[in-house]
Amino acid sequence: MFKLISALAASSALLATTASAQAPAPDQAHFRALYKELVETNTSLSVGSCTVAAERMAAHLKAAGIPDADLTLYTAPDHPKEGGLVAIYPGKDPKAKAILLLAHIDVVEAKREDWTRDPFVLVEENGYFYGRGSSDDKAQAAIWVDTLVRYRKEGYRPKHTIKLALTCGEETSGAHNGAEWLSKNRRDLIDAAFALNEGAGGLLDEHGKPTVHTVLAAEKMSQNYRLEVTNPGGHSSQPIPDNAIYHLARAIDRISQYEFPVMLNDANRAFFTKMAPVAGGEVGKAMTAIVANPNDAQANALLSRDKGFHSMLRTTCVATMLEAGHATNALPQRARANINCRIFPGVSAETAMAQLVKVIDNPKVHVTIPEVRGAPVTSPPLTPAIMAPIEKLSGEMWPGVPVIPVLQTGATDGQFLTNAGIPTYGVSGLFSDRDGNGVHGLNERMRVKSLMDGRDFLYRLVKLYADAP
Amino acid sequence: MSKLFGAAATAALLLAGSAHSQAPAVGARPDQVAFRAIYKELVETNTTASVGNCTLAAERMAAHLKAAGFPDSDLTLFSTAEYPKNGGLVAVYPGKDPKAKAILLLAHIDVVEAKREDWTRDPFTLVEEGGYFYARGASDMKAQAAIWVDSLIRYRQEGFHPKRSIKMALTCGEEGGSPFNGATWLVQNRRELIDAAFALNEGGGGSLDASGKRIAHGVEAGEKTSQSFTLETTNPGGHSSRPTPDNAIYQMVDALSRVRGYRFPVHLNDVTRGYLTQMSKIVGGQAGAAMTALVANPGDAAADALLSRDPSVNNILRTTCVATMLSAGHAQNALPQRATATVNCRIFPGETREQTRETLVRIVADPGVKVSPIGSARAESDAPIPLTPQVMGPIEKLTAQMWPGVPVVPMLLAPGTDGKALAAGGIPTYGVSGLFFEPDLGRIHGLNERIGVTSLYEGRDFLYKLVKIYADQP
Repeated sequence: MFKLISALAASSALLATTASAQAPAPDQAHFRALYKELVETNTSLSVGSCTVAAERMAAHLKAAGIPDADLTLYTAPDHPKEGGLVAIYPGKDPKAKAILLLAHIDVVEAKREDWTRDPFVLVEENGYFYGRGSSDDKAQAAIWVDTLVRYRKEGYRPKHTIKLALTCGEETSGAHNGAEWLSKNRRDLIDAAFALNEGAGGLLDEHGKPTVHTVLAAEKMSQNYRLEVTNPGGHSSQPIPDNAIYHLARAIDRISQYEFPVMLNDANRAFFTKMAPVAGGEVGKAMTAIVANPNDAQANALLSRDKGFHSMLRTTCVATMLEAGHATNALPQRARANINCRIFPGVSAETAMAQLVKVIDNPKVHVTIPEVRGAPVTSPPLTPAIMAPIEKLSGEMWPGVPVIPVLQTGATDGQFLTNAGIPTYGVSGLFSDRDGNGVHGLNERMRVKSLMDGRDFLYRLVKLYADAP
Repeated sequence: MSKLFGAAATAALLLAGSAHSQAPAVGARPDQVAFRAIYKELVETNTTASVGNCTLAAERMAAHLKAAGFPDSDLTLFSTAEYPKNGGLVAVYPGKDPKAKAILLLAHIDVVEAKREDWTRDPFTLVEEGGYFYARGASDMKAQAAIWVDSLIRYRQEGFHPKRSIKMALTCGEEGGSPFNGATWLVQNRRELIDAAFALNEGGGGSLDASGKRIAHGVEAGEKTSQSFTLETTNPGGHSSRPTPDNAIYQMVDALSRVRGYRFPVHLNDVTRGYLTQMSKIVGGQAGAAMTALVANPGDAAADALLSRDPSVNNILRTTCVATMLSAGHAQNALPQRATATVNCRIFPGETREQTRETLVRIVADPGVKVSPIGSARAESDAPIPLTPQVMGPIEKLTAQMWPGVPVVPMLLAPGTDGKALAAGGIPTYGVSGLFFEPDLGRIHGLNERIGVTSLYEGRDFLYKLVKIYADQP
């Protein structure tokens, strides 16, 4: 049965990459329509509406037969466009605790003029889907909705209740965060034994071949810092060396040159240990070496050439935004930068800030914390009950591809749920290219085959959990 | 009379510096009170490009002239459909001699942006404090604009019948921030309305030393060209949790550090040679000697280094470029896809904007940084301004009367003015104001812009008298 499905999935995925003109299976056609609708609903904080996206997803579930009583569209007061949806798919056993499927439906800003294609039109091209959110996180969000639709249509009766929460505000620190709001205000509605979320997937090599399948074992904390320099300014015809932009530029230059020291914990130690034989060669040796000795400068230098490995080994801080000046012909009175840090588990926001201040070494540059994105999180341990179904399915669908725990260098909403007592695991079965699929950047994309494989994987994985004792 | 006046002014200045509450003499004359109301109204009418309205300011100034008896036929309020808030005013005060060409008094009424949160006081409320008027435009250039309006009212009230017609043009768009420039528009569309033998404009003024003592009275003899350039870097960006060394902001910061570190070579012309020669005697000492040395040899690095420490000297010795604005990134948690910086250059007369762009490209030395000029080149003249005896005579005479011993010095103006647009349209334009400033130039374009109360009232008296002399010239 599993093998059959796996074979079918493989062949349909092949069809999808080679000749998209051929009609996909009916359930795939519906999924594509749903995914397209979700991606094309702009949910950026500036001009988008998560509420509209949530309503549209609710309509799909309703059309599939899920009663209104099991669909809760919610918005917090004062945030009318940042709403979300909770759906309940009841299980047979009232004593079995529910499983929660979590996905955020908001996306990072995307400017049409910067992109090759319209970021809010789903474009299929050469085996990829392009669009803002095509990866992060509307792939998994659409898969969750589609999975419930399929369960309902086939009359599936799980042991455990399955819940779905689509939330807004994951991508913007300081914005209203739906996962946080639900865990504080509707804790009962989303109560579950555990939750599945974004945060891991798989890696493809340059030929598109799966190399490793990752599961989130720990995550770094995202923290923004504001750098600000003020100055009396003046007429730009009479420049002086004491210039707000130049002070800020020097500070940023120093940050760009600074490298936080290598740190190891269980998550990245396990990752590099398991990854070493997969990578092999020099890189594999360096992985083994750094686990044995985090001060191995040679191994560090070699591994840090890869931006993913580089981030997994340390706290990183990078300048993401700049703003300065009030007129083209006036010396700037104010210059500001946003520094986004991804802080290694166990390191506090204040410790990282103290290091930034030291690196900048200029009292004219004021460093502040504009907002805090929830309390730091300790990710739940990857128990056999969680890992066994993943390893079993992964072995069937991607034979020989190891399942590896990973330190997630991004930050997810798992932080809020785990801290609220719902252990949250990052798993998706979605394989991405080495560059991270342009997530948050230009021309974000998702391999058509990866999307369809991940969809099958999650559809089956949730069933395994939902029927577990 | 002249000596008395000078003494009174000095006394008033001292009072202003020590205790302004005990200084009823400054600004207490009835005509000064009337002027102050006009000045206050003009300053408090926000005329920034972003949220302000020059058209409204022009209407308010026209209302004062009308109230003083100017017929509607001599007042022309103008604006275009495309830029309805960037309007202005032309007023005509007819002369007796129809054959004598008019004199044009020019002032821009727009101001540079000012953010309330950055200023100590509300930038659009005129505040008098410690001997200064504080507000955006208090100096640049609603001082001279209000003085022009006030002068016409005074002439009218006293029944002054000049030989030449006196025209006044209040225009918008000098400070940038909008593509519309009122002075250029008048030259191109209403040339006959503003036709004149010559024009008086901002650009001149006196310098005070740190203790408030008058050093020299400057008259503009040429000006640098203001040209802004956009520096732009682009990058595919990505998730900020996985930074890469290749970053649009870092690339921009590198470029700006090279711009910061570069000094254009010393460039002298007749005006600056004359200025340095004259100033060397006034300043004396090491700086004076350096001025003499630099005139003799522009390659004298030691003299350059010493003089360039003073930003107000540095800026007449060379082209300067400085970063004035930055913008980068599209989200806090994403690697930047684009970073842009504005670099404002003040180009020495005779150098072109393309040469300056090429220099920037060369010093940035990174083909990934795109350098492009902002806006199209304006029709402007950077030729030296001919300071004829007919123009200089009255300035020197009045200066000697009001501020005995203070020399009149032709100078190169580092800030640009609308005078170039008029000069290109065949109306020679002279920068003269009689307004004296401290070395910080009245903080124009910056925070807490201000002008000395005494300086303002004296400048008003100076210009009122100067225009009368010109208007009765044969």
